[in-house]
This record gives sequence, C-alpha cells and structure tokens, in this order.
Amino acid sequence: MTVIAVVVFVVAYVLIATEWTHKLLAALGGAAVLLALGVTDAEHAFYSHDTGIDWDVIFLLLGMMIIVGILRRTGVFEYVAIWAAKRAKGSPLRVMILLTLITAVASAFLDNVTTVLLIAPVTLLVCDRLGINPVPFLIAEVMASNIGGAATLIGDPPNIIIASRSGLTFNDFLLHMTPLVVIELIVFTLVLPRLFKGSFDVDPDRVENVLRLNEREAIQDPRLLIKCGSVLVVVFTGFIGHSLFHLAPSVVALLGAGLLVLISGVPTKDYMTSVEWQTLLFFAGLFVMVGALVKTGVIGNLADQVGQATNGKPLLAVMLILFVSAVLSGIVDNIPYVATMSPVVLELTKSMHDPAHANALWWALAAGADFGGNATAVGASANVVAIGIALRAGNPITFWEFTRKGVVMTAITIAVAAPYLWLRYFVLS
Amino acid sequence: MAEAFPVVSLDTDARDAAELLASRRLPGLIVVDEKGRPHSVLPASQVVRFLVPTYVQDDPSLARVMDEPLADQVADRLAGVTVRKLLPREPVELPVVNHDDTVIEVAAIMARLRCPLVAVVKDGEILGAITASRLLELVVAAH
Repeated sequence: MTVIAVVVFVVAYVLIATEWTHKLLAALGGAAVLLALGVTDAEHAFYSHDTGIDWDVIFLLLGMMIIVGILRRTGVFEYVAIWAAKRAKGSPLRVMILLTLITAVASAFLDNVTTVLLIAPVTLLVCDRLGINPVPFLIAEVMASNIGGAATLIGDPPNIIIASRSGLTFNDFLLHMTPLVVIELIVFTLVLPRLFKGSFDVDPDRVENVLRLNEREAIQDPRLLIKCGSVLVVVFTGFIGHSLFHLAPSVVALLGAGLLVLISGVPTKDYMTSVEWQTLLFFAGLFVMVGALVKTGVIGNLADQVGQATNGKPLLAVMLILFVSAVLSGIVDNIPYVATMSPVVLELTKSMHDPAHANALWWALAAGADFGGNATAVGASANVVAIGIALRAGNPITFWEFTRKGVVMTAITIAVAAPYLWLRYFVLS
Repeated sequence: MAEAFPVVSLDTDARDAAELLASRRLPGLIVVDEKGRPHSVLPASQVVRFLVPTYVQDDPSLARVMDEPLADQVADRLAGVTVRKLLPREPVELPVVNHDDTVIEVAAIMARLRCPLVAVVKDGEILGAITASRLLELVVAAH
C-alpha cells in the first residue's frame, strides 16, 4: 500500500507540475485511484482531519471567494488604484511603487489571483495612457502580490493550509508574518528602480492623460460599497477575535459570505461565478492523496529523515525548510507543495522542545513557499494569470523575462527572511 | 438571393475597412485571401470589439473613468493595423453558402455561427453575400 500511495502521488505530482493534463484531473484521478485500490477509504478521506480533506481550508476559500465576488463589483479597487496613479502625478516609478504597495496590501486580505485580476486592467489602462510598456509593472505587481499574500492567514492558500494543519491563528500570522512582510516590502520598494531599470521613461505630454481619469466613476453603487465594508469589518473582527468568539476562520468566512449575500441583493449567479470550483476540487483531491501518504506512514518516515538530516538542530531545520521551500515552490505550484510538506513539518514540530522553534518551522515553510512563488513564471497561480492577461493585451511576457527578475527577487526575499527567522526565534526568543 | 457585396483582403488597412462599414452601414465585410477566395467574414461587431481595449473588456467599470476626449482616442487603435489583426485569433468556421442553397440552409448557417452575413459562392468564386436583413426580407416576402 505504501508503494502504491507513493507511486500514485508522484505520478499525479509530475502531471500537475508539467501540466501534461489538467491539474484537477491529475489530483482527482490520483485520489480516485487511491480510493479504488483501498489505499485510503471514505472514513479517512472524508472524515479525518489528518488523513483526509481539510474542510476548514475548502470552506474558508469558498467563503472568501463569495465575499470577494461581491466586493469586486463595488469598483473600490479601481478607485484606489486610479487615485494612487493620479497622486503619482504620472511618474512611472511612483506609479509602480504605489500600485505594487496597493497590490501587496490587497493581497494580504484577498487571494493573490483575485488581486492580480483586479489590478492588472487598471495597470494596463494607466500604462496605455502614459504610452509605456506595462510588462515591468505587471511583473512587479505579481511579485508584490506573492509577498503581500504572505502577511496573513487568508492572504495566500498555502497560509490557509499551514494555519489549518498547525493550529496557528489569524493573530499568530499578524504577529509573526506581517512584520516580515513589511520589511520585505520596504526592501522590494528600494529594489524596484534597479530591478526594472529603463522602464520609467515617459513623454511628459502624456501625463495629462492619467490626470484626466475620473476615479469616482469607478464606484457605481456606493450603498453596496458600504455594505461590503461593514461585512468585511465583521469578518476581520471574527478572524482577529478568534480566542474570544471561538469561531474557526472557515466559519467566520462562511457567515460573512452568507450575511453579504443576504444584505447585498446580488443575484446568485453573479457571486457564484466568482467561486473557483475547480480550485476547491483540486484541493480536495490533493488532500486525499497527501492523506494517503500520512495514513501509510510515508510522511512520518520523511519527517524522521529530515530530522536525522538536520541532526535535531532546530535552526538547521528551519533554514533547510526555508531554502528548500523557496526553490521547490518556484518549480512547482506552492499549493501542492505546502499541502505535502505541512504533515512533514507537523511531525518535525513534535520533536522540538521549544515552542518558538516549532513555530519557526511553520513560518519558514510559509515564507519559503509564498516568496518562492516569485521565482519562476509558473511558481504561483497569480504569475500564470498575469502572464495570460499581458498576452491578451498584446504585451507577452516570456518565461525567462519573468524568471530573470523572479529569481533575483526570490533570492532577496529569502535573504531577508533567513536572518529574520534566526534573530526572532533563536537569538531574541 | 445573393447581393453584390464589398470584399476586403487580409492586408486591407483596418481604418479603410472601418470606414467602409460605417459609410455603407454594413453588418460586416467579406474577407478574401491572396487568391481572392473567401477567407472569413469580419462582422462590424468584431471591429467594435477591437476598439475596446482588453483591459476594459476585462473590467468594464474602467470605461466610465475615461472622459470624452480620452474615449475618443479609441479610433487610434486602428492606426497601422490590417484587417488580419481585426479577425479573431482563433480560426472560426467560414460562413459560406452555395448559390443554390435554400433560405433555411442560409438561416441555419447564420444562426449557428452567429454571423450577420454569409458569403455566397459558386465553384469557389464569390457571387456576393446575404445579410441577415436580406434574409428576413426574403422570409417575410414569402408570406
């Protein structure tokens, strides 16, 4: 059974990474084979938190997708982005900095793909008006999205998986990941002029074109905006007040989504189209496959080997997870990577005597996987989405054009994360 | 049933094609290849779609943030572009019928391809075209 579980998992993983088949087909197909061959069963696949589908993750994503589906109808994102571009007075560098910061902040609260889908059209508009190449701007925004998404529990799907497996709360992410992301964003902003050198020349006559954009027109329904804002305040109060209300993030998100559906009056088909059912089913298939590895003891053995390789030294284990995660997340999508690694890290934390060191392992996994998503054009879903948008707009981004910048940025972010983890959890703890 | 209809080539200037559509209020144009054979039909709606930047198609709320002078600049998108660029990227089935096809055959092609006109050919040569309004005229007259 162990051999079958490993073979099915590896085959499915190769199919997902190479995109020879649709990733949903690979994940559900792998899960189906494991169930059919009896490697796992309905009890383990559907009802076990450790060896089956993590319903907390699925329903948290579902709830947030519905909320975002309604929120994006308000036009608030377009308003803020155009307002910022006007404040930049048409300076391409200032436009890039402001749009990337908006993207990073939004990504902390919305999923990265949604953020990119929202910011990319505005960016294309502003660059079109300025008569400049939008490619550097789109690449910078994707990077900001992957960095900003690391800040909170709900910012990036890998964080949602990590939170569910580790038991870390929304506030834990705010206390431990947000400061790191703030530092990363400061460094990122300083690096931008060098990373995209030569991308900021603009005809002064075209600046007026941006200043004439009317951001107020983006908001069609101010009452919907107020309703969305109110529900978001309630939802984030629920996330932050976890210890007070004892409501899981998934329950908070679902209640928030339900409340917003009730008070917004948005037709069902409108907000349901924003639910990415394929992504949710992909997660389900993935969890069943990883669960089979846990059930057959493969994950336990892997954790033992990692423990032996690091010789029980927590700092070495943290750095190993950080660097390996960054490299592998650049090669394969960081969602299946984290889904696989989370049980391994969970096993490793059991051997840690100091809780600070145990938690540092989780933060290393989050930082490595989230920042590593920037390394290549296929490292994260947001990268693929942005490249698709750029292609449709007639501004193709090649794999290497993205990856050249992505590798540099990943190296910088990991170089910042490593001393942060070392100082905070080993020197100062 | 077929009427004489203007044709353009793949390398015709997009602005000329748009002017032809506008001046004669045509629902579309027949596009021919280098050998004069029917290549595709360019519906006027496809030209209109080309005028709308992809970012506005992705996020229609952005159409509202542009003022009138900015919006008027959309025609600039036709500058230096040929008809080839206006056509959909994905090849679509050629809306073409034979000169002796019946009204229902023509209507079926139009309905299936959602095309406002079809080219009428005989032995590979274009005889003309049938527009949706011409088709309706024939159908109503038959009653």
